[in-house]
Amino acid sequence: MSTKKDYAIKVSHVTKKFKIYYDKANTLKERLVFWKSKNKNEERTVLEDINVEIKKGETVALIGTNGSGKSTLLKLMTKIIYPTKGKIITVGKLTSLLELGAGFHDDFTGRENIYFNASIFGLTKSEIDAKVDDIIAFSELEEFIDNPVRTYSSGMYMRLAFSVAINVNAEILLIDEILAVGDQHFQDKCFSKLEELKNSDKTIVIVSHSLESIRKLCDRAIWIKDGHIKMDGEANSVIDSYLEECK
Amino acid sequence: MQLFKNLYNYRELLKSNVKKEIRGKYKGSFLGVLWSFVNPLLQVAVYAIVFPYIMRIQTDNYLIYLIIGIIPWTFFTTVINQGMITVRMNAGIIKKVYFPREILPISVAVSGLINFLISCIIIILFCIFGGVGITWHLVFLPLIAILQFILTLGIVFALSAINIYIKDTEYIVTFLINMLFYATPILYEASLFPEKIRFILHLNPMTQVIVAYRDIFLYHQVPSLMGIVYLVIISIVLFFIGLLIFRKLEKGFAEEV
Repeated sequence: MSTKKDYAIKVSHVTKKFKIYYDKANTLKERLVFWKSKNKNEERTVLEDINVEIKKGETVALIGTNGSGKSTLLKLMTKIIYPTKGKIITVGKLTSLLELGAGFHDDFTGRENIYFNASIFGLTKSEIDAKVDDIIAFSELEEFIDNPVRTYSSGMYMRLAFSVAINVNAEILLIDEILAVGDQHFQDKCFSKLEELKNSDKTIVIVSHSLESIRKLCDRAIWIKDGHIKMDGEANSVIDSYLEECK
Repeated sequence: MQLFKNLYNYRELLKSNVKKEIRGKYKGSFLGVLWSFVNPLLQVAVYAIVFPYIMRIQTDNYLIYLIIGIIPWTFFTTVINQGMITVRMNAGIIKKVYFPREILPISVAVSGLINFLISCIIIILFCIFGGVGITWHLVFLPLIAILQFILTLGIVFALSAINIYIKDTEYIVTFLINMLFYATPILYEASLFPEKIRFILHLNPMTQVIVAYRDIFLYHQVPSLMGIVYLVIISIVLFFIGLLIFRKLEKGFAEEV
């Protein structure tokens, strides 16, 4: 096979259905007693027949109203959940920032949590050793790094989590609504870090409602509405038509 | 093969998870990790009082006989009990980050294995000071321990995944393990088991495991080849069935947990 893969993420004919349980029969007794009335749950189609190809080095925003399915699409790309139908192929090491501080342990120190969190992203000890100083410097938490994270304020917690995730050297970065981290100073810093990553040929997919940042950061936007792709194209024009409809 | 690739890539996660598993279990208690060694010994103390004096069991070196049964059994049940709930306990990160899910049950099994190998020092101490002594037969110890590890891991793969979908698994398994305890010659000798149904005893892979450990530590003889062959076959078969079930069910973890 000599076909060159120039895409980073390829989503083909993906449909995702969720089961909506009104009353989930979780125990064996309930399953036995209610085995006849199985039609208690209904399926909701969140995404239907989605086709997207994201090229290497592209910075793409997913926009849409709440519940339109954009976060679901992002979760499918990370392989946290799997499509009901269709296929998703990703090329290269992938990191997702769906929720900051996933896997943090309150009783461990900031430094230990850096190691633990980075290991969840698939880094080895020597790779983390090489980066730990950068991570600490980026978070600006030098004074507190050897205290347990339960003593951190929520802003400090977020800063540490973001610093770990952003410094994991992934080729694809999936981000869900976390551009608003910390104070203005730290937000600016995150933003310029993202710009730096963008210029270093990383593929970035962002779900966000802060349209102004998207305009600045992204080349392309995909507007998802009710589980379908409503519009896909140059960021400014997609955002303009999205705003037009939201009026 | 995918399994080994994942394990290699995420070896740091596996390592820190194993550490957490060993340290975290008794966190906050005064003796800490020491409890994982004190607990089985206390259990041994109970049986060592009850059986010779009340039930009048007359096995030579009964105390050592018991210890060699109880400590591997503790390895088995601790891994099953903790492994069964490990996916559910980690629901938080499963919903938010991708990582190879099999890391979770494997960490539990590896931490159990490490605990067991340390506990073997206790067995050896009892053998030396109990007058039984030790011989070169100890070279078989790693082989049997690895087989027990594979056997237990296979079971935990299946149970941890099924437990997400059917919560009752936990309660059913607790009962089954209780039954199995008495269907394994831990407290008594196999010859005391009614002859008509003794085949049950020998079908139980844990019987083969315990018998092999006794051969190594107590009777100083090479474990029976038949027993080991049976153990190898059943461990590998259970391992692959367990892994298959896990692979089949893991895709739904984030939604169901």
